[in-house]
Amino acid sequence: MTIIPLPARAARLYGGPVVTEATAFQDEQDDSVHTLATRLVAGEETALEEVFDRWSPLVHTYALRALRDAHEAEEVTQQVFVAAWRSRHTLTPSPAALPAWLIGIARHKVADARAARAREAGRLAAVVSLPGVTDHALQSADEEIAERLVVRQAVEELPDPRRTIMFLAFWEGHSHAEIAEKVGLPLGTVKSHVRRGLMKLHQQLEGVRHESR
Amino acid sequence: MSHVDPEQLAGLALDPTDAPAEVREHVETCPECAGLVAAFTGVRRRAGEDALVAPPAGLRALVLDQALAGDDAPSGPAAVDTGPRRRSGVPLWLAGVAAGLALLAGIGLGRLGADDTPEAVDPPTGDSTVVAATALTALDSDAARGEASAVESDDTFTIRVSASELGDEPGVHEVWLINVDGKRMISIGLLASGDEGEFAVPVDLIDEGYRIVDISVEPDDGDPTHSGVSIARGELT
Repeated sequence: MTIIPLPARAARLYGGPVVTEATAFQDEQDDSVHTLATRLVAGEETALEEVFDRWSPLVHTYALRALRDAHEAEEVTQQVFVAAWRSRHTLTPSPAALPAWLIGIARHKVADARAARAREAGRLAAVVSLPGVTDHALQSADEEIAERLVVRQAVEELPDPRRTIMFLAFWEGHSHAEIAEKVGLPLGTVKSHVRRGLMKLHQQLEGVRHESR
Repeated sequence: MSHVDPEQLAGLALDPTDAPAEVREHVETCPECAGLVAAFTGVRRRAGEDALVAPPAGLRALVLDQALAGDDAPSGPAAVDTGPRRRSGVPLWLAGVAAGLALLAGIGLGRLGADDTPEAVDPPTGDSTVVAATALTALDSDAARGEASAVESDDTFTIRVSASELGDEPGVHEVWLINVDGKRMISIGLLASGDEGEFAVPVDLIDEGYRIVDISVEPDDGDPTHSGVSIARGELT
């Protein structure tokens, strides 16, 4: 199955009467993804290289976590990007389109790999494992993995010092005061970075959720 | 109703004790702001994942080789058609169909013309004749998704769909005929029970080139247009 994204449904726009700097969060990163998607659709081979370089760790890690087999994860990763290139004309460029689309393709390739396993394991095993129930549980587990990985990638892509501050706060569990001391910034600035960083992660995740529906 | 600055809501999600009283009070009475706080909390909960693992170095070259080597059909028309000035009013994904079909155009055209003698693919049962058929496949692979046929009997014309392995994505399965010009499509009905369906259609449609059978997953969102999620497709020939 191919996901053919429609023009992006608007993600939640931060804004409203009490917000004055709403557009500050629509940063340059979004534009670069949009441009890259447009180039891919146009058939630019260098765009495929860039797409691979930027999202193959996401796709590969997703496949690795879902399948728990290094060899199969490699194969799935390969299949995803080859399929992405071949069906690139079905991609509608938008800021979150690429990761959402790639994860969508990866989901199907992972499902295919599991189906192949099930066939090999034979009918008996399939009956014993109650496919209906298992599929559903697997699917929501996969979704959770995908979202956590998207968050990880989104943090990696934040510009410093926000990136470092986010890692210190969310990954290492430091307090804002500790971080302020570590990075040598005022406490208020650190708080602001963490809050805006969290908003950015939310925006990325929402974008991927909308696009992959 | 005015809302709280999302940055304040992010602050509240991170540390409720650090938020001003008026922000907390507002959130208690505003479902929208409370929803955003909950969403921020959900994102925070999803942080902490280990670093992403890049695939082995050799994979990049393999992907590029395989992708670019097997690249034929889409590159011609797609390369010409893309860009911001593409046909106005034609959704990108549908234009993609056109690009993919450009090479096929002409092969089957007129085969179902009114003057043609219908070709019996299957032995006729009763007075009905299968005049065209196609295997349905997934769009991103050749995985089988069943079959469709066009059946003529007396003065009626029917598209029979017998699909398989359509997946379990939530939503109803809607059957469409896409014109080989890649610009027009029409819904002919829903797969109401299971994966089988029969849809009477005016024969004129087929003559006009509506010969690509497409099955989509339609969410219950009140939008009558194609969801953009196609799970099976095949061209009647």
